[in-house]
Amino acid sequence: MSVTSSSQAATRERVRSWTGQSITRKEDGRLVQGQGSFIDDMGMHGQGYAWFVRSPHAHARIVSIDPASALAMEGVYAVLTGAEAREMCQVPFFQIAPGDGGRIEEWPLAVDTVRYQGDAVAVVLADSRDTARDAAELVEVEYDPLPVVVDGVKAAEPDAPVLHEKAGTNVAWHGTYDFGDIDWALKNADHVVKIDRLHFHRFSSTPLECNGAVVDWDRGTGVVEVKSNLQMPMFAAMVMGPTLGVPINKFSFSSRDIGGAFGNKISFYPQIAALALLSKKAGRPAKWTEYRTEHMLTSTHGNERTFLDIEVPVMADGTILGVKARAYDDVGAYLHYEPLGAVIWSQVVPGCYKFKNVQVDFTTTVTNKCPVSPNRGYSRMQHLWMLERIVDIVAHELGFDPVELRKANYVQPEDYPYQTPNGCVYDSGNLPLSLDMALELADVEVWRRRKLELGTGTGKRIGIGIGSTLDSGTNNFGQARIVNPDLPFSGNGEAAFAKLDLYGEVNINLGTTPQGQSHETTAAQVAADILNMSPDQVTVTTGFDQAHNSFVGFSGTYASQFAVTGLGAVMGAVEKLRDEILEVASFALQAPIDELELGDGACAVRGEPARAIPFIGIANLVYTNNAVLPIELASRVTLNCRHVYVPPFQVPDTEHKTGNLTLTYSSQIHVCVVEVDEETGVVEILAYSAVDDCGKRINPQVVEGQVHGAAGLGIAAALYESFEYDEDGQLQEPSFYEYHAGTARDIPGIRSGSIESPSPFTPNGAKGMGEGGGAPLHAVCSAIQDVLGKNDAIVADSHNPWERVHLLLHSGERGDPRGVRVVSRGTEGAWV
Amino acid sequence: MLLKSVEYVRPDTVPEALDLLRSNVGAAPLAGGQSLTNVLKHRVASVDLLVDISALAELRSITRTAEGVIEIGSCVTYDEIDHSREVRAGHDIVARVAAHIEDQQIRNRGTIGGNCCLSDPTNNLPPLLVALGATMNVRSAGGSRQVAAEDFFKGYFLTALEPGELLTSVTIPPLLSGVGAGYVSVSVAADSKAIVRAAARVEVKGVIGEARVVLARVASVPVRHRGMEDALRGAPPTAESVRAAAATIGNELEPIADSHGSSQYRREMARVVAQRAVLEAIAEGGGK
Ligand SMILES: Cc1cc2nc3c(=O)[nH]c(=O)nc-3n(C[C@H](O)[C@H](O)[C@H](O)COP(=O)(O)OP(=O)(O)OC[C@H]3O[C@@H](n4cnc5c(N)ncnc54)[C@H](O)[C@@H]3O)c2cc1C
Repeated sequence: MSVTSSSQAATRERVRSWTGQSITRKEDGRLVQGQGSFIDDMGMHGQGYAWFVRSPHAHARIVSIDPASALAMEGVYAVLTGAEAREMCQVPFFQIAPGDGGRIEEWPLAVDTVRYQGDAVAVVLADSRDTARDAAELVEVEYDPLPVVVDGVKAAEPDAPVLHEKAGTNVAWHGTYDFGDIDWALKNADHVVKIDRLHFHRFSSTPLECNGAVVDWDRGTGVVEVKSNLQMPMFAAMVMGPTLGVPINKFSFSSRDIGGAFGNKISFYPQIAALALLSKKAGRPAKWTEYRTEHMLTSTHGNERTFLDIEVPVMADGTILGVKARAYDDVGAYLHYEPLGAVIWSQVVPGCYKFKNVQVDFTTTVTNKCPVSPNRGYSRMQHLWMLERIVDIVAHELGFDPVELRKANYVQPEDYPYQTPNGCVYDSGNLPLSLDMALELADVEVWRRRKLELGTGTGKRIGIGIGSTLDSGTNNFGQARIVNPDLPFSGNGEAAFAKLDLYGEVNINLGTTPQGQSHETTAAQVAADILNMSPDQVTVTTGFDQAHNSFVGFSGTYASQFAVTGLGAVMGAVEKLRDEILEVASFALQAPIDELELGDGACAVRGEPARAIPFIGIANLVYTNNAVLPIELASRVTLNCRHVYVPPFQVPDTEHKTGNLTLTYSSQIHVCVVEVDEETGVVEILAYSAVDDCGKRINPQVVEGQVHGAAGLGIAAALYESFEYDEDGQLQEPSFYEYHAGTARDIPGIRSGSIESPSPFTPNGAKGMGEGGGAPLHAVCSAIQDVLGKNDAIVADSHNPWERVHLLLHSGERGDPRGVRVVSRGTEGAWV
Repeated sequence: MLLKSVEYVRPDTVPEALDLLRSNVGAAPLAGGQSLTNVLKHRVASVDLLVDISALAELRSITRTAEGVIEIGSCVTYDEIDHSREVRAGHDIVARVAAHIEDQQIRNRGTIGGNCCLSDPTNNLPPLLVALGATMNVRSAGGSRQVAAEDFFKGYFLTALEPGELLTSVTIPPLLSGVGAGYVSVSVAADSKAIVRAAARVEVKGVIGEARVVLARVASVPVRHRGMEDALRGAPPTAESVRAAAATIGNELEPIADSHGSSQYRREMARVVAQRAVLEAIAEGGGK
């Protein structure tokens, strides 16, 4: 049966349920034809172009700034310096950290001191981007260099140069997480595997589009309009409001199409605030489009984490009892979103495993490096990577099969809902089955044989690696209180608005900011099922617009949650709309509601197709013909239905650092087969598979796209991408010349599979899944570990360029420190 | 301006181009522009006059003599080299290397002349041309001269060209029977810069005859490793003897270090790629 009332050229075959179908994306037509609206496509009347003046030093006092020569240039409208910007502000940016960390001050532009290479000291507005750039070169800044610290662990030492005098320390946060009884476990284990150091490196998943904004401070109305590609605009609004002295309702934020954002477009509010002040000063809108090198130097990097003194108690049968570690999170020069990384990891304290005793002593430090902010897999990825390293190292040291060791320690299918030691509830899943599927998809049996046949002396080795991860989605923002009990945050939510328009059009408005997650399509699928029509008949307005969209404080697209929060809101709003339609139809058709049915944009009495009213008729009655309706109905029904989906959360126990921190747990099990060249250390991926379980899939192809994207970013990070600073705090990879972002030629074909373990906690059984938990980093490291011999050092870094692999391959011959020891209990109970 | 304002001319003939280059101190030839425009964008070079030579017919031809000598005009693009029957006929390796320079967009514009005249140590063609014993044909308004490829590359972004001179073409001697070439790199990733690379041209007549082994990314210019070449001469064309010859590569090299490889790693890898390039050359030569 075909859809009759759609005017669209390509109408779709009617199916029983649109949810679960891989329908083609509604947004593709405009995106693939170059008709998207990205930030650089935006403009405002009379705008100038901004260019930031940035520090070449990683740490220095600003002695003086002289903009005179820049101002003298033709076409220059204004120059705003850090000191001036501060004068125009009420308070520094809001800080999440308590105590010392909370005294860290940040203003829209650096004042007195620069703290990382690229820190902005002034911003120029001119009649073209090029003029602004030329003028910026003429702004004379005198610096007095200060000592630099680029190591997150050293930054915590008493003699380290302190970045923020007001804080008096580089330790922005410190706390100990202690669940179960790690001392008991270490005492009673048959073996304790001790690992000196594991290091998760700094990188940033590369969006095609850099940051950008057009900002206008309207002097007449006081409204600050911000068109940008922020992925969580209201977070920026909340941070900027008090600083600029602008109430939220005088902001007008909007984000349209976003050319990639992996968390890195959450926190460029300092730049936006500076543009707002620049606009205020110059009396015209300020447009800024970030340069790639500017993006790499200053936009944001992912969290770099060092784990020290790791101890893993293990029983003789391979049962892992727990983990003890010290963790240092190096978050760069300022706290953007941080120190939330210090708690977000605890959404997945035991990872995929059942151990119950965990102690992590966690320190967040600031260093003279680019500030970090969430990067796909934020904070959990670092922790999960450590856990996966531990499992492989335990297998390697104690002679277990990494597959069997994982399966034996995984949370089992019958354990769900499974409560973790810190009170998180894993909703559903089947990890052993996922692993089996991933191994099969990667043809691991074949590779195992090939590996044996290859033997020694060929110069090549084959390694098989596994990465098991959880992608925890739908945050309970109450976890922020674990880092700072005074924060007024908890729960989560998302808003949607469903409307029947004047001619009966179905329209849905979201508060989200999709960057490839296909919200237009999946929202339409869900709505189409409720209204029994085609997704083609549902218009979904995407892109965030403060003036038009319905939103809550959490609105945005981040942290794997749209399928739950966003679609939960859409379902609620469309159900309300359906009920109103039915009520009006019931009056119009003079039939009880339970005898009515919806189909193809009309409402009919079941079994009597002639007794029907199309949506346009319903709209007519409510909007333009309401005297026909009883006054009670006419004044109650609006056909404008808002719904806020609120997940069932409580405020966590901040003293014990426990609570249900996220609603859903997707799992991703990746398998990677590599061939390593002994002479060079070059790693080639021979096979790669990924099995995703994100509960009910609304659109399987959209899920697969996310799986492939996350896998590509992770593989590139594991092998090619790293941001490293020299001891003077100079970034060694400030452009694509040095920083090799993975391309299609580098990423192997990925065989993906899926299982669906519906979440019992969500409105539709779906789970968020876009982040992917960094599984490729775990899998690639695991595969490299697999080629190493008994006497070689362990894979201790998440980034493994060829030289590092080469060093590992030959570490045994040289007798390098292995970085790991096993302490075992002898038969008579003595430790050997 | 992103590009500081600069004069641009497109001469119709080579002499006209040479005249412009001679009479304007701030003039520079513009070939494919894949590097020069970036250099200008980064404002590291000051050029007042761009002399666009990319369309000069005289610089755009490929000829092959009956003896198998090939001459490639300096403005022939990588893509044209890749698809040239003349090049493929006797110098497959030149086409293969050209085919792997970055992406298609760059291959459509970038030229053999620009690749050499830039003298960027990461560029793909210079070490190959040195290994193949190529000759660089140079002209100025005053006359012409020939420079061996080996003597052409002088340093980072520095060549033997004098102001006012143009590289007009590159002549490559034939790879006759028993002579093969090899080219091996260790790169960061599929289409990225080489960390270290080697090119080799090896003659085998029962034993190894003349061998040219050129290393790149271990110094500012491609360097011939005479020690390895000497060790190869007269040796049997086996993996063991090539390995032994490569062992002569040692501490005389002081390669740069960057985040993709330390100096030590580059030195060790120089041995590996040199060995592999020579073996590839032996295999290729033996196959003829
Ligand atoms: C993103 C990117 C990645 C790249 N990666 C690689 C790579 O991995 N390997 C590689 O080999 N190359 C690489 N290149 C460089 C590319 O190959 C360039 O094309 C090459 O370096 C210059 O060639 P061109 O024809 O574009 O010369 P141009 O950019 O036009 O000129 C380069 C220089 O040579 C001079 N010049 C040009 N022709 C002549 C001539 N006939 N006589 C005298 N002087 C002349 C110019 O004045 C200028 O100084 C890359 C380029 C880009 C943009």
